[in-house]
Amino acid sequence: MKVGIPRGLLFYRFYALWKTFLEELGAEVVTSPPTNKNIIQQGLTYAVEEICFPAKVFLGHVLYLKDRVDLLFIPRVVSFHRKEYNCPKILALPDLARNLFSIPEERIIDDEINMREEGMRGWQKGFLNIGKHFTTKESKIMKALKLAEKAQKDYQANLKNGILPEDLIDHKNSLPSREGKIVLLGHTYLLSDSYINMNIAKKVNDLNYSVITPDMINEEKKRHYLSTIPKPSFWTISNEIIGTALYHLKERKPEVRGFIHLVSFECGPDSLVGELIERLLKREKESLPYLRLEIDEHTGEAGLVTRLEAFVDMMEWRYKNIESHVSSFASS
Amino acid sequence: MKATFPHLLHLDIALGVLYPTLGVEIIAPPPITQKTIEIGVKLAPQNACFPLKVTLANFIEGIELGADTIFMAGGVGPCRFGYYGQIQRIILEDLGYDVNFVLLDHPRYGIRPFIRALQTMAGGRVLSSRVIKVASLAWKILRFSEELETERRALRAQVKDRQKLDEIVEGALEQLRQVNSEESFQAIKEGTMKKLNNLERKEIKDLIKVGIVGEIYIAQETKINFNVEKILGDLGAYVHNSVSTVEYVLHTLPFTRSQEKLEAWKLAKPYLKRFVGGEGIDTVGSTIRYAQQGFDGVVHLYPFTCMPEVVAKSILTTVSKDYDLPILHLAIDEHSGEAGLLTRVEAFVDVLERRKKLKKRKLEVS
Repeated sequence: MKVGIPRGLLFYRFYALWKTFLEELGAEVVTSPPTNKNIIQQGLTYAVEEICFPAKVFLGHVLYLKDRVDLLFIPRVVSFHRKEYNCPKILALPDLARNLFSIPEERIIDDEINMREEGMRGWQKGFLNIGKHFTTKESKIMKALKLAEKAQKDYQANLKNGILPEDLIDHKNSLPSREGKIVLLGHTYLLSDSYINMNIAKKVNDLNYSVITPDMINEEKKRHYLSTIPKPSFWTISNEIIGTALYHLKERKPEVRGFIHLVSFECGPDSLVGELIERLLKREKESLPYLRLEIDEHTGEAGLVTRLEAFVDMMEWRYKNIESHVSSFASS
Repeated sequence: MKATFPHLLHLDIALGVLYPTLGVEIIAPPPITQKTIEIGVKLAPQNACFPLKVTLANFIEGIELGADTIFMAGGVGPCRFGYYGQIQRIILEDLGYDVNFVLLDHPRYGIRPFIRALQTMAGGRVLSSRVIKVASLAWKILRFSEELETERRALRAQVKDRQKLDEIVEGALEQLRQVNSEESFQAIKEGTMKKLNNLERKEIKDLIKVGIVGEIYIAQETKINFNVEKILGDLGAYVHNSVSTVEYVLHTLPFTRSQEKLEAWKLAKPYLKRFVGGEGIDTVGSTIRYAQQGFDGVVHLYPFTCMPEVVAKSILTTVSKDYDLPILHLAIDEHSGEAGLLTRVEAFVDVLERRKKLKKRKLEVS
């Protein structure tokens, strides 16, 4: 049986887990190709105009796969952390795809993965339900999940070592390591899709800096620094972004020179969390420069490059004149 | 302690009755005006949803009137509302306002802060029989203020003298502010309902019916949504609004779940399988209910970029097709213009009228 995984949103996060799990259950896994102009165009044509850019791209991938596979794999990942949620669009993802393209219900694997109340039990329950599309044997499903979790662990270890998800998935060469680092904040699906983020990691690298993404930070560290604010948000990915920012703010590493926060224009969580991070950074004495870059389908590459270059110039100037009083904030 | 709070339609009337008994002085923010919106837009994050901006401005205008404490509610997500308080507090701090921000958050963020916030909001009073009596009166007033609006929406297209209708409703709302006993409340209620019933009606053959669905703040707060329900009524439509603060409050408590909401959720199931925060699933369910009740069209009101409502909008496209029901989506924020909105609503009502006539003609032919 051919099962299609659209290459978007949580794909970049759970790639190894999903692929291994489905393959262990005997499915032939098909992923859509890296985002291209055509896929974006399809997404823009069919999705409502106000939904965020990554969701539109995701729907473009769904359309690409729709008639090429037997089953579409769009699990409803309500939560992958206790007491937290994903954003409403991710909660409704299978429904959005189903309604938009009139896909029959039985052609989508849309089982709910929800760790919000039950923690690991909710996780296992979700995968058990997914597994039942392929086999009735629970032991076989649990075995597949074990193997999948192991593959995921290896995948995440690689990410922690600084390899970008895309390079891992498509076996591409990593960018050369640079001495200076910039913390690149943002949702994995935005940071990982080099087509929609206009290859920002490469552009930063060309300016002689390596990026550090939330994927590269130890989970405990992120959670520790997150817990220092009065109330963390209820969105897991946003919390990881806050944790990453605070970690680098408090445990200052000499090679880290600044923050770039990549957000998609219509992202609800980031509209608040971005503000929070910016204000927390501003409150710090001798903070680091921060740039918020907003991306959507109308973003022009030239404008992005100009802003990036200006930011790096400012950052370097500040680094040399560290005692200056120049405001270190730029945002759109 | 002088406390202020966010506006939500007639919430200030009920709170105004409740608070003197609790021994807490409250200062209602001034009515929402263009200036309020400007303050909010200037100080709030640019891409935050509109209600965050307006309620932040409410606080600031309340502080300018002398408030030193802010009462606000929190939430557990996934809609942004649950995080408003955190962002608003940090903005006020950065602006240098020295106020006590009392946030009534979900008990899951700590039972002690929850009880402490509740105690502060209740003026530290124990639940005496007097307090319970006034609280129940305030609740009834909130309920009745909603009923008044329900009547106004339903009647506007049907009465001969619309100005008189407004006078009766506005007059009653003003009177409610002065209520101090169950008896005076009942007298106002009965008197007003009698007056409304006595209003002279027009004879209308094919009254078109429009339902309103959407996000709790934008769909109700007429000062923000350009009073779409009045525009619709003036154009000759019977209007019903599915959004209600009373139902919302009831639904937050496990033993008083709103039947209306549960029914809507059930109706939404074939299209949207689960709760997605805010009123997303209610919007879908209520639209289907309007379709089943024979309404001619639905107006969907929500803040621009509202996550649950954008999900709902996406799904309503299918609902609209399946039920052959026209839906007008109106996203509201600081950039919304009255003229543009008016044109769209007028065109929408035109469409509904023509469709109604066509349908009737078809019936007559067959």
